Amino acid sequence: MSRRLLLGVVGVAVLTGVLFFAFARGFGRDPHEVPFMLKGKPAPDFTLTRLDTGQTLTLAQLRGQPVVLNFWASWCGPCKLDHPVLARAARRYQNDARFFAVVFEDTPENARGFAPLDPSFPVLIDPQSRMAVDYGVTGVPETYFIDAQGIIRDKYVGPLVDEVEIARRLKAVSEPLVSGVSR
Amino acid sequence: MTSLLLVLLLAQTEHAPQQAGSALLDPVREARVQALGKQLRCPMCQGLSIADSGSSAARAQMDRVRELVAEGKSDDEIRTYFVARYGEWALLEPPAHGFNWLVWLGPAVLLLAGAWIVARMVRRKAPDAVAAPAAPAPAEGSSGDPYLDAVRAELRK
Repeated sequence: MSRRLLLGVVGVAVLTGVLFFAFARGFGRDPHEVPFMLKGKPAPDFTLTRLDTGQTLTLAQLRGQPVVLNFWASWCGPCKLDHPVLARAARRYQNDARFFAVVFEDTPENARGFAPLDPSFPVLIDPQSRMAVDYGVTGVPETYFIDAQGIIRDKYVGPLVDEVEIARRLKAVSEPLVSGVSR
Repeated sequence: MTSLLLVLLLAQTEHAPQQAGSALLDPVREARVQALGKQLRCPMCQGLSIADSGSSAARAQMDRVRELVAEGKSDDEIRTYFVARYGEWALLEPPAHGFNWLVWLGPAVLLLAGAWIVARMVRRKAPDAVAAPAAPAPAEGSSGDPYLDAVRAELRK
């Protein structure tokens, strides 16, 4: 009997341990949060057309300065909030970084109707949102911060309406990568 | 006339049509696109595959799947492309390795454990079932239930 009791206690202990491990793993993360896989990885290159000038632009042309890419759409409500804030930041920090507004799942006509053509915050047309999926975009608005070496350093999901937040991220992206992070 | 009015009216609204999805491929390759789409999780609606979802993010991803299929990429290469960008999270069916084994083997282990417990209980009960007919026949006026008998005896007093 004492052997059976011991076996039972050990069984319950093992089961509790397994459940504890599983729950610790499961509750430690938000199941709705899509992982940000490209952090610290080279930003995928793109060739997009500027809505204002009609010229094509590649990521390689922007090498040497930090780049801020904001994915947005005219049908996206929160984008109405952060677009003007980002446009203001683009003007203020035009010597520190290049800002671009990439159209997500929308037409150039809609984009033209939504955003005033702003030379410091040019709109880029991404046909079929190919480049957005290349970057792992999950929805709009989403803002990516790429450093001067073309490494994706950070991304912000949701409307970026706080200028202090933008400044903080710009500063971080302007500083060299801490060694040990994959290049 | 009504339809023309309707078209004009709808064209005036703020919600002009979004970007249309890409054109379908030939039936054979399109079947591959749809099959792959069924395996990939929509980042916006989460519980659905990108093939089943009508959200803009799912449409964008379906277009990308179609493009990769058209480029001649294999199913594995396309799955790898999405895992590299959205993590294993993007796969509706978790691949069987590491921690994920718990998901795959857990139900089977629980089922086996349950079967073992049931088997034990049945085996333990079996001697009683055999012994039951051998028990002395209940006395006259007895219901066979000792509790009921006790209640009746109390009531007779």
